[in-house]
Amino acid sequence: MSNLLIVIRKELKRVFDDRRLVFTTFILPAVSIALIYSIMGSMIGNMTSDIKSHVPSVYIQNAPADFQTILADDSLKERMELTTVPQGESLESVKSAIQDGTVDLLVVFPEDFSAEIEDYRSNRDVPVINTYYNTSEDYSRNARNILFEGIFKQYENMIIGERLGGSHYANAFDVDKGNTQSVIVDERKATGKGLSTLLPMLIVIFLFSGGMGIGMDTIAGEKERGTMATLLITPVKRETIAFGKIIGLGIVSIISAASSFLGVIISLPFSSVIFGSRTGSVNLGALNFGAAQYLQLSLIMLTLVGVFVGLIALTSIIAKNVKEAGTYVVPIYMLVMVSGFLNMFTTGTPTTVRYAIPVYGSVVAIKSLLEFELAWLNFGLCCLINVAATAMLIWVIKKMFNSEKIMFGI
Amino acid sequence: MIKVQDLQKVYKLTKKQMSKNNTREPIKAAVDGISFEAHEHEIFGLLGPNGAGKTTILRCISTLIKPTAGKITVQGHDVEQESDDVRKNIAFLTNELKLDVNFTPEYTMFYFGSLYGLSKEVIEQRTELLFKQFGITSFRNIKIAELSTGMKQKLSIAVSLIHDPPVIIFDEPTNGLDIITARAVTDYLTELKNKGKVVIISTHIMSVASKICDRFSILLSGKIRITGTLSQILAATASSDLEDAFFRLYSENVQEGI
Repeated sequence: MSNLLIVIRKELKRVFDDRRLVFTTFILPAVSIALIYSIMGSMIGNMTSDIKSHVPSVYIQNAPADFQTILADDSLKERMELTTVPQGESLESVKSAIQDGTVDLLVVFPEDFSAEIEDYRSNRDVPVINTYYNTSEDYSRNARNILFEGIFKQYENMIIGERLGGSHYANAFDVDKGNTQSVIVDERKATGKGLSTLLPMLIVIFLFSGGMGIGMDTIAGEKERGTMATLLITPVKRETIAFGKIIGLGIVSIISAASSFLGVIISLPFSSVIFGSRTGSVNLGALNFGAAQYLQLSLIMLTLVGVFVGLIALTSIIAKNVKEAGTYVVPIYMLVMVSGFLNMFTTGTPTTVRYAIPVYGSVVAIKSLLEFELAWLNFGLCCLINVAATAMLIWVIKKMFNSEKIMFGI
Repeated sequence: MIKVQDLQKVYKLTKKQMSKNNTREPIKAAVDGISFEAHEHEIFGLLGPNGAGKTTILRCISTLIKPTAGKITVQGHDVEQESDDVRKNIAFLTNELKLDVNFTPEYTMFYFGSLYGLSKEVIEQRTELLFKQFGITSFRNIKIAELSTGMKQKLSIAVSLIHDPPVIIFDEPTNGLDIITARAVTDYLTELKNKGKVVIISTHIMSVASKICDRFSILLSGKIRITGTLSQILAATASSDLEDAFFRLYSENVQEGI
């Protein structure tokens, strides 16, 4: 058995023999992520349906008769609780109720609104309807921007129609009326597009966090406990030890990330809204990845894990103990998260240079892959950069293993 | 054979260390121009108080740290140029080297045996022998975390000897051991010597040293004050025993202000 295999097996045995580590590294991520995402998804869904089902309290003053006719329509009547404010009455109490969130909307027509509308030929300034609503209240914002925006449009069309001699004159065209095939979409691309916003970020975060705790323990912890020096006294080459630890840690990191993804998949019936689904469900089967896509995703993730565990290992070696390693690793973890966030809201085709930026390039590549737009050149570049970065990290780690100052603090 | 020639090890001190040592010198010579040889069929003792440089010398021989100047060879291999070969030929035991407490003694022996390239059969054979020698058999399958300090020390000795190397370097080998195990260790070192191994130990317990060592070097402040057999040292210092000899040299050292 080669020394590399011996070191890897020992690293894995150390993790898998410890029930506490198995629970915190492989079981807890799946359970906690499934719970958190399910709760988040359910809450977002509840919030949306709550807003939709809420009947807004609307106050109105000086509403002309024809406008009141529109509001009296059965379909609208049920959608709001209408209160008429008598003409000339102060609106301050209503405005303060809007601020408190007890009233959602106040609509104030000018007193001579109807006369101004009728006098449209000589009157160059159109009358102004004032609305008052609270942007910090979802119900209020929804009543103003969704419900009344439509009602105002309908009322305006009605007036214009009357001016032209018939309401149908105000309706010059309809868009997609009766067109049931309006949406032309490649379902797998649509699913990929929905996933590509959040998934690349989750992949990098899961991969990094999966190796973080154990990485600090297997290297900084071993140094702190004096077990690393025992290993260094054997004839095993320093690079073999570095490589063995990195591969062992990489395997742990991948399994931990897989556990996190399992959590995401378990949560999907409740959390699909988080992953950009408008229909309320994410059909992962619709992605229909071919062998090439699976190969690309696997290689990007594998090479990225090398960079991550190399970084974790390096910071853990420099640190005197696990606590110090934690203070070094956290800023790197934050940079990894920023790389993920940066890519969440980008649009357009990324330039090739962006694939060559370590870590960030992998996030870009995973996003492009999910959108079925990852060119082989960019994929190769991204993997090459990851491999080069890992090789460089291993080289530095080997140097660190030979440093008396680093290994023995002298 | 171990050959140490003009060994010097200088440490750079941080400001914190300078203030702790009450010195303005930014460097400290832990070991300064030391030479000695240790041969087969011999137990060589490095004697000295704490801070004399014993552990530094042993660390340099075992390739954990590099000499600032001088040359060390172990079985003909240079510690700097052929460090892997040196490590193959030595057993090194020191307090700083610890074993992973999550594993059992049995697995630890298997793990280190494998790293030394031993076959499963040889590892099993050596494990049985060493476990019997140091009384480890009864707790061979208990996690190291649950063992006492003495049990851990016994295991550390067994692990260091798994590959049956020609050179044995033990730093304070009887520290933390009860009287029975300490005797088992010293007896085993004598047995190893009789088998033709090179054995170096460092200790500040003069009774242990005078009992098992064939030759000694007495170290004070990073320098060897005297090297020789017990009778040579006693004659040179006009002392009745090794402890007397040590204190004579120590007071000369203090008077010289070294």
